[in-house]
Amino acid sequence: MTTKQVFEYMHHAPDHDDPVHGAPMKVNMGPQHPATHGVLRLAIELDGETVTSIDPIVGYLHRGKEKTCESLGWHKFFPHTDRLDYVQPLLNNVGYALACEKLAGIQVPQRGQEVRVLLMELSRVMAHLIYIGTTSIDLGAVTIFFYSFRLREELYSILDAYTGHRMNNTYVRIGGVYADVDENVEGMVAEFLRTAPARLDEIEKLLTANRIWHDRNRGVGVISVEDAKRLSLSGPNLRGSGLAYDLRKAQPYSGYETYDFDVPVGTVGDAYDRYLVRMEEMRQSLRLCTQALERLKKSKGADVLTEDRRYVLPPKGDVHSSMEELIAQFKIVSDLRLPKGEAYHAVESSKGELGFYLVSDGSSKPVRCHIRAPGLMNVQAVPVLGRGRLLSDMVAIIGGLDFVMGEVDR
Amino acid sequence: MTAPQTRERVVKALEGVAFDTIDARDGMLTLRVERAVLGELFARLSDRAGFDQNTLVTAVDHFPAEPRFEMVWQFLSYDHNDRVRVKCSLAEADAHVPTCTPQWPGASFSERECFDMFGVRFDGHPDLRRLLMPDGYLHHPLRKDFPHAGIEPDRLYREWDKKRREGWQPNA
Amino acid sequence: MGSLKPVEGEGVGFLATRVDELINWGRKNSLWPMPLGLSCCGIELMAMIGPKFDLARFGAEAARFSPRQCDLLVVAGTMTWKMAEAVRTIYDQMPDPKWVIAMGVCSSSGGMYDSYAVVQGVDSILPVDVYVPGCPPRPDAVIDAIIKLQKKIEREDPLRRLLKGPENKPDIGTGEAFKQPNAGIARSSLDLHPHDPKAKLEELQK
Repeated sequence: MTTKQVFEYMHHAPDHDDPVHGAPMKVNMGPQHPATHGVLRLAIELDGETVTSIDPIVGYLHRGKEKTCESLGWHKFFPHTDRLDYVQPLLNNVGYALACEKLAGIQVPQRGQEVRVLLMELSRVMAHLIYIGTTSIDLGAVTIFFYSFRLREELYSILDAYTGHRMNNTYVRIGGVYADVDENVEGMVAEFLRTAPARLDEIEKLLTANRIWHDRNRGVGVISVEDAKRLSLSGPNLRGSGLAYDLRKAQPYSGYETYDFDVPVGTVGDAYDRYLVRMEEMRQSLRLCTQALERLKKSKGADVLTEDRRYVLPPKGDVHSSMEELIAQFKIVSDLRLPKGEAYHAVESSKGELGFYLVSDGSSKPVRCHIRAPGLMNVQAVPVLGRGRLLSDMVAIIGGLDFVMGEVDR
Repeated sequence: MTAPQTRERVVKALEGVAFDTIDARDGMLTLRVERAVLGELFARLSDRAGFDQNTLVTAVDHFPAEPRFEMVWQFLSYDHNDRVRVKCSLAEADAHVPTCTPQWPGASFSERECFDMFGVRFDGHPDLRRLLMPDGYLHHPLRKDFPHAGIEPDRLYREWDKKRREGWQPNA
Repeated sequence: MGSLKPVEGEGVGFLATRVDELINWGRKNSLWPMPLGLSCCGIELMAMIGPKFDLARFGAEAARFSPRQCDLLVVAGTMTWKMAEAVRTIYDQMPDPKWVIAMGVCSSSGGMYDSYAVVQGVDSILPVDVYVPGCPPRPDAVIDAIIKLQKKIEREDPLRRLLKGPENKPDIGTGEAFKQPNAGIARSSLDLHPHDPKAKLEELQK
């Protein structure tokens, strides 16, 4: 058989008279499967090797976060937001903090916003590195996993130096960030920004023109813009189809409107386009980090946390020496009251639109905290994209849609 | 704070449908409607007002107040770059609303989640099953009268475990 | 192996001890982990296998995603009751001898998730050898756990178990354990745990 014949054979429509296509077979993929990026389970029905129906079964990591928020209170929920999409903890922190600030009606000082932008963009790079590492290892390119983790380890060291922990940092607070970045961290970030583009080039050199990468990704999981919109897809998955909609540009927050960056879009809407979009997004994030770093150098010494003591924690140094500040800290942590009302705020996470819908009745316990998880919508698209494809394409489709189960199941 | 163009467009699209607007704290255009007009409202918002994405479907439990549930939908228009929120109150005994999956197929999982967590039924949903909790779970965890620590959280596992000890094999 | 049989009646013989040491040496330096990355800890598990921490230095980098090929189950992350059935099935499918590391506070004790969906520690359904605290633990901490596990394997007597045939392992997860988290488990099963030095001592005293 020539390559062309093999290709045609692979992509012909299922023929029910063909003895190969006998009785449908049910395959259970997950919940423990290396290619499902966590604990997703797909009940797949096969005709020969062609997928005829997919039923995604989620909830294997449902930890009851929304209920937890209702019973813990506003401030104590912060550590739980880290563990939503655990490859980008600080970005989730910022999303929740912005929703709380909208409800409280307070502004974050300029320098606090700059620090947040820096953290968010570093988080986005971290998340996309996980995407590229895991997806490529699933599709057979094991080297990329080591390359991406080498780069990620550098980001871990930066966050380790700044926040004191590699992952799940919980460093954003209502009204700003917990502590200012110092020269040491700035130097580390600058060093990272200097070396990272070449490292990304290395990854791209191995993948972008790679024949195997093309064969596994091109034309797989194609979705049009109109379908993607109606399927609630957002973020890189929607931009991969060709719609240049980025919440950082369209509904700016944290001063994104003053930064200079581009929104990459795809043309076809397949897994390969989504890969290209994410690679370019990493470079744009590095650009944003560079700008944020420059601004941080100028605004040195300014506040990173608002002075509004109704909602904002007192400085840690004062808490250890002053009784009033200790009481204030205790009250804010255990009994923070946000004004009555409701607020929705969405941020552009690495997976799409991450939104927090908060309802408060004026007491210290939230009435409702709904997390609009982009990952759940991406899982929802798996059956649409996978139907009629080969079973082996499922790995590329799941990898290309990019979700993290902590956020999908909450 | 609501952009006047959004309000104008939505009011024009919803001509003949009864609704109130509320001032939400975050400034989003918020409509409060009765359940009877929801089907018509979804069709109008989708076709005439140009809201092409469902952002979220969820409920708020106001237990012990009645009407207990407050349904919340949120929609996004990519062309106009604005959002609208729709609310509808439901009594506990009569907790069902029409589905919006014909207009927005992406709302399917959100509606399943809402059914799972609150027990609100969506009429006309093609596949209304539990989403996050396992099949056979008896409660709706996000209701306010459900304790945070759960009621018999291990029941289904114990039942399975009993079968396993008796020699049941998952693939047999 | 016929020549080794008399050892059984004699207590601890010289030959048996040496063979034990050989087997333990082989086992502890070629652990095949089954990385059960359930949530956040799974990312740190990946970092541990990755270039900076390089688990290959400890002979445990040959991660296999099939439980049939593994002898070390690393439960990394929050386990929910919905997932518990799958985890228990994976544990049952692993061939003997097998060890379990509970990585992170969630799998050790439920951690910050004291909610309706989360198992309060995987030891409610599995026997655990090493607990690693941290949310998530740093890769160094997990490597330390693997070294601790290696020390534990050193103390085992595989030959005795081999000659006696498959032992009747006490089963965990009778439901009693959950009613009184963790306390019940210690009472019901840890005393008879196959890798427990106390059990070994009792066995020797007989």
